[in-house]
Amino acid sequence: MNTLSSIQALGAGLPTPLANKAEPQASTVSIPAAELRELNATTSAGSCGGASETSFSNLLGNLVEGVNAKQAAASQALAGLQSGQNVPLHQTMIAVEEANLSFQLMVEVRNRLLESYQELMRMQV
Amino acid sequence: MIDALFNDPGYLGAKRMLDATVARHEAIASNIANAETPHYQRLDLAPSFRQELERAVASKDPAQLRSLHTRIAVDPRAVSANRDGNTVNLEHELVEMSRNTLENAVQTQIVSASLAKLRMAITGKS
Amino acid sequence: MIDLIPSLPSTTAALDAESTRLQIISQNIANANTTHNVDGRPYQRQQVVFESVLQHAQGKDGSSTTLAVPQVSRIEKDTRPGTAAYQPGHPDADANGMVQFPNVNIYEEMADMIVASRTYDANVAAFKNGRSIAMQALSIGKHG
Repeated sequence: MNTLSSIQALGAGLPTPLANKAEPQASTVSIPAAELRELNATTSAGSCGGASETSFSNLLGNLVEGVNAKQAAASQALAGLQSGQNVPLHQTMIAVEEANLSFQLMVEVRNRLLESYQELMRMQV
Repeated sequence: MIDALFNDPGYLGAKRMLDATVARHEAIASNIANAETPHYQRLDLAPSFRQELERAVASKDPAQLRSLHTRIAVDPRAVSANRDGNTVNLEHELVEMSRNTLENAVQTQIVSASLAKLRMAITGKS
Repeated sequence: MIDLIPSLPSTTAALDAESTRLQIISQNIANANTTHNVDGRPYQRQQVVFESVLQHAQGKDGSSTTLAVPQVSRIEKDTRPGTAAYQPGHPDADANGMVQFPNVNIYEEMADMIVASRTYDANVAAFKNGRSIAMQALSIGKHG
């Protein structure tokens, strides 16, 4: 999938001063956005020297895995509904909607990362 | 990270209550369908499950809420009004069914509102 | 087939059963004065006997529910004797002028009919509620 490979490419290639960021615990979505802003700020202020690229790609990897898991759950629920097993309708609708939201989150993360990356590349002339 | 998105106890509680109302409708519809069947015992949510649900919703603990599983059982407090042992009272079932359908609408609204909030936070549009 | 409305099998079975019962009651009422049937005897009142058949439904998450699906197990003839009346001019009068009338009690039949209609209506209400629950579920993801 184009989105997945572009996100993974960004994770591998982008130098990041983020050192061991903990997983966000909040239930709202503003935290990943804040993290990204932080990333943007510290990157443009000048790198602190090659710290863990791996923690950032871990973060992205977890995001992709989570989205995959949600999509798989939604497909399973839909398949169960259509094959006549007793999957309640509301569970299927909720699973599909959660999968959609997770996927949209991933798309937004990708867009923000691309913007930051492009801004970064513009600066390094 | 994705799981953290959907860990709000209000949202999880509403999802479990929604499960419970759907299962309860099946029980009540079965009671109404068998109102004339001899020896039929009415079904409802198991009393132990009701207590578990209340405790889990009050505790606001996501793990507890996730592990809940709706249980339907024979209503232990129902008494038979006929000679043939059937414990279904049609008026009672109809009243409970109306209440349950309303409860289902309320929980659906809560779930939809939580999802709409998430959607707004992620995409900026509704 | 997709099973969208919860507990549809029990409700439709109950509607079938009550509908049959109403038909039998109407037949009884219509034949309340039939003194001469095809077999020569007066009409014999019929009644339905309900039973519930247990069906097991396997849920996807491992839970299993047992549905009690009602159905008419048999239609049996009421063996109580009917009333006899003294009508010597009646074509079916016997040697003593007595005519055997069917064992149909109109008031009993009307009472049964009211109960059957009420149960039928209650099952229709159950179906409508089930449908509204399904419609609520469909509206979960809707936006805009």
